[in-house]
Amino acid sequence: MRRPLIVAASAAAAALVLSACGTSEPAKTGSDAKSEKITVTGGDGSKVSLDGPATKIVGTEWNVVESLVTLGVDPAGVADVKGYKAWDTAAPLTNSPKDVGTRGEPSMDSIAGLTPDLIIATNDLSASAIKQMKKIAPVLTVKSADGADQVGTMFETLDTIAKATGKEDEAKAAKKAYESKLAEGKKALKDAGADGSRIATADGYSASNQVSVRAFTSTSLLGSVNEDLGLKNAWKVKGDKDYGLATTDVEGLTGLGDDVRFTYIGNKKAGGSDVFTKDLADNSVWTSLPFVKAGDVHRLADGTWLFGGPKSMEHYIDGVVAALTKK
Amino acid sequence: MAVTSPPRTLTAPSFGAVGVTAGLVLLVAVLAVVDITYGTADVGARQVWQALTGQAEAGDASVVVASRLPRMVAGLLVGVALGAAGAVLQAVSRNVLASPDTLAVNAGSYLALGVLAATGATVSVFASSAVALVGGLAAAAVVLGLAGRGATTVRLVLAGSALALGLNAVTESLILLFPEQTEGLYQWNQGSIAQNGFAGVVRMAPLVIVALIGLVLLARRVDGLALGDDAARGLGIPVRGTRVTAVVLAALLSAAAVTLAGPIGFVGLCAPALVRPVARRVRSLVRHRVRIPVAGLVGAALVLGSDLLLRAVTSAQVAVTVPTGVVTSVVGAVFLVVMALRLRDGEAAAPPDRLRIPSRRVFAVTVVGLAAVLVGTAVAGVLLGDSTLLLGDVVNWAGGQAGQAITFVLDTRVPRVLAALCAGAALALSGTLVQSVTRNPLAEPGVLGVSGGAALGAVLLVTTVPGAGSWSIAAAAFVGAGITSAVVFGLAAKGGFQQSRLVLIGIGTASGTAALISLLIVLTDRFSATKALVWLSGSTYGRSLPDVLPVAAVLVVGAVIAVARRKELDLVSLDADTPRLLGLDLARGRLGFLVLSVLLSATAVAAAGTIGFVGLVAPHAARALVGRRHVRVVPVAMLLGAALVCVADLLGRSVIAPAQLGAGLMTAVVGTPYFVYLLVRGRR
Repeated sequence: MRRPLIVAASAAAAALVLSACGTSEPAKTGSDAKSEKITVTGGDGSKVSLDGPATKIVGTEWNVVESLVTLGVDPAGVADVKGYKAWDTAAPLTNSPKDVGTRGEPSMDSIAGLTPDLIIATNDLSASAIKQMKKIAPVLTVKSADGADQVGTMFETLDTIAKATGKEDEAKAAKKAYESKLAEGKKALKDAGADGSRIATADGYSASNQVSVRAFTSTSLLGSVNEDLGLKNAWKVKGDKDYGLATTDVEGLTGLGDDVRFTYIGNKKAGGSDVFTKDLADNSVWTSLPFVKAGDVHRLADGTWLFGGPKSMEHYIDGVVAALTKK
Repeated sequence: MAVTSPPRTLTAPSFGAVGVTAGLVLLVAVLAVVDITYGTADVGARQVWQALTGQAEAGDASVVVASRLPRMVAGLLVGVALGAAGAVLQAVSRNVLASPDTLAVNAGSYLALGVLAATGATVSVFASSAVALVGGLAAAAVVLGLAGRGATTVRLVLAGSALALGLNAVTESLILLFPEQTEGLYQWNQGSIAQNGFAGVVRMAPLVIVALIGLVLLARRVDGLALGDDAARGLGIPVRGTRVTAVVLAALLSAAAVTLAGPIGFVGLCAPALVRPVARRVRSLVRHRVRIPVAGLVGAALVLGSDLLLRAVTSAQVAVTVPTGVVTSVVGAVFLVVMALRLRDGEAAAPPDRLRIPSRRVFAVTVVGLAAVLVGTAVAGVLLGDSTLLLGDVVNWAGGQAGQAITFVLDTRVPRVLAALCAGAALALSGTLVQSVTRNPLAEPGVLGVSGGAALGAVLLVTTVPGAGSWSIAAAAFVGAGITSAVVFGLAAKGGFQQSRLVLIGIGTASGTAALISLLIVLTDRFSATKALVWLSGSTYGRSLPDVLPVAAVLVVGAVIAVARRKELDLVSLDADTPRLLGLDLARGRLGFLVLSVLLSATAVAAAGTIGFVGLVAPHAARALVGRRHVRVVPVAMLLGAALVCVADLLGRSVIAPAQLGAGLMTAVVGTPYFVYLLVRGRR
């Protein structure tokens, strides 16, 4: 789960970076397109020069893959295809890309065997691996996440990838779709009188008899979307610089306050058990929390990639709005 | 070495024992009470008092009941279980260094739980503790079986520690392979006594109590065993039965502790060790009926004390993420080193193997044969992998005429093969030098903690300076290796690099650096622990030619020096007196060889991560093949080391392609049995 986080965050960051430099014309897909050079700046500031829109693309992180799918580009290679299918159902793959290994250690051999014309990675991959990939094909490195502006980073990534693939119109459409979904969600919350609610978003895992809770603070992607929806983040713990995540235990939940609404994310497909309804069901710290007593605990839809792109976030908005307006 | 404290008299518990026990109970009680006032919730001493007297608000009371108390009771149980297990293991093995850690019981349980987690099955706490017990028992059986009847030596601990390294390597590969299924397992492996309610404690407590009662009932026979097998038999004690029962009960205790809190390192070693000096004054403590429970109490004090220390020096937020086991491991590592220093090592250095001196022709044939093997593995390394190539492709590539795809594949694969070859040769040479200088056949950069120090230095740089280059990583690794080796060799030099002492100090240092690396990962990079694990597992992943340069350069220099000073190496490795009789002062030469060896292993770690056991296996095999003269050993060992790591790397990146395993994990799987084999052979 740690890795997926990173991936998602990186993808979001990359999208943001891309959008920032999306000033060039969308490349044509006709035969003369090849003659137009495209220069894209990655999240790490490095420039990538392409002879035309890239079509045969390998994505080493899921946020990048989600962006590609969103833009209507079928990736040729994806790291951990099975994992993507379980964790990112908001933007399902429409083809059967080659699995290029794990996200932390994608196989150079597999990537090289695909002869891609572009590799999209995130800055969570080791610098030495990126250096090596550059020998295989141009490597566009996008930011994995940026606590300073998660949503902005997400669109920057999308726009950067759109520029490299000549799909800038699709990126605009995706952004529009997201914004209208956001506005819709905001309105629905307001209509239900839920705007301004204090919300705590989390996921949890248990190993042996120990439960860890991961807090999505206001500088996380989900936390940022929550605030854009007009909600207030209830977490007082400080998140890490990039992902805005913090770890706490069940005791730590007592600091959330009385009027908080609790949402969490699980994943049935990936074999995760529901920590909050199973492992904690008999825990009296949990059961005596005000929001648990009030029944204000909501499991969001599975397959929302927490560090994904606009599609995942739309999926998330649907989930959180449905949860908070249920009564 | 003084491994036994035979009961001098069997007197009834005196006032002394009662006093000691009462004092310990009081200490543990105080620690326990203070412990429950710390946590992430805003529940301090006052609220705890109110909760205990039934006046607190419901929320505060539930924090105390469902979080603080279970954690405190878990700490107590785990401490008691480990302390008692350590005491009984030390008694039946007549070995002051025996403990659940050093007999690989914890590592066996961890592996069993890792396998269980990898299957993705969700099972009850009880079922998982049964699995942990089976794993721990199996590991203990292997170690005790290997050590055989005369389990009175340090060899037992060395075999156990080596096996633990190997088992942990396997578990770590499982974590890399199944990151989602084993989520949390890495952190859990550091050991934390946090609990989700009383359920786990309630299930484990009866197990611990039953095992403890069993041990107390067995205590008189254990006393008898301490007298020696023959004496015990004379007293009518069933030696074998007692030993087996005691080990099973101890494994049961450790498995319960592991299931409850993960491996809390070294408590089982430290607690009985702390009881020992007291037992010298309070005679009734010599009897195991008293000694086992007292060691348990000391264990509880250690665990609760570490937990408190962590919470007292860091914020509540940080304390959640830093596992208690890291603290006890660092403390325990220091303890192991101190105990190793105090060992009166009666064990003479193993007599040099009686090796035949092969003829020049045999040597020539061996070198040619090995060179052919090396070329073969290197070629296989280049051709095989995720996509298989043919030799013609390589020829085309070398001539710059290969197609795009093949060029890509080879451009990335060749540096990895080179990194593996160079790192392997460097580690082999490093091992050869260390073994000569210390005249210790078990000395090896990995086992001695030098590789661990290098990795600590490198990880420190990598986590603090993003985008650090090859040379700076190599330099950081060298600084880390230099500091640890100064400590290890400096401490072991007293008394002239005694056989077991050096290796024990090394193993202690290796555990300490591993705990510190875990701490660093948890503190700086906890949302991508896998990234650091990849690096630590000894991987050539992502290596390009510049990364290979430092190790290649040092390797060339090292080989030239080793060959040029071969006579000196021969003399140093012979014995302590010959050079002195010949009027030679080899002190400076020795230091030079050690520095060179540290440089070699540090650059190897920087190029390919921590790859263990190669420095052990290669020089040994080389000596067995061509005798002990360094003019022959050095080239043969380097060829062997290079081939070994190359094969490990090839397997690691092709067997489960496109996913990958580190070469270091593969060499641990091969090297562990070899290390144990050397120990067993040395026993005769």
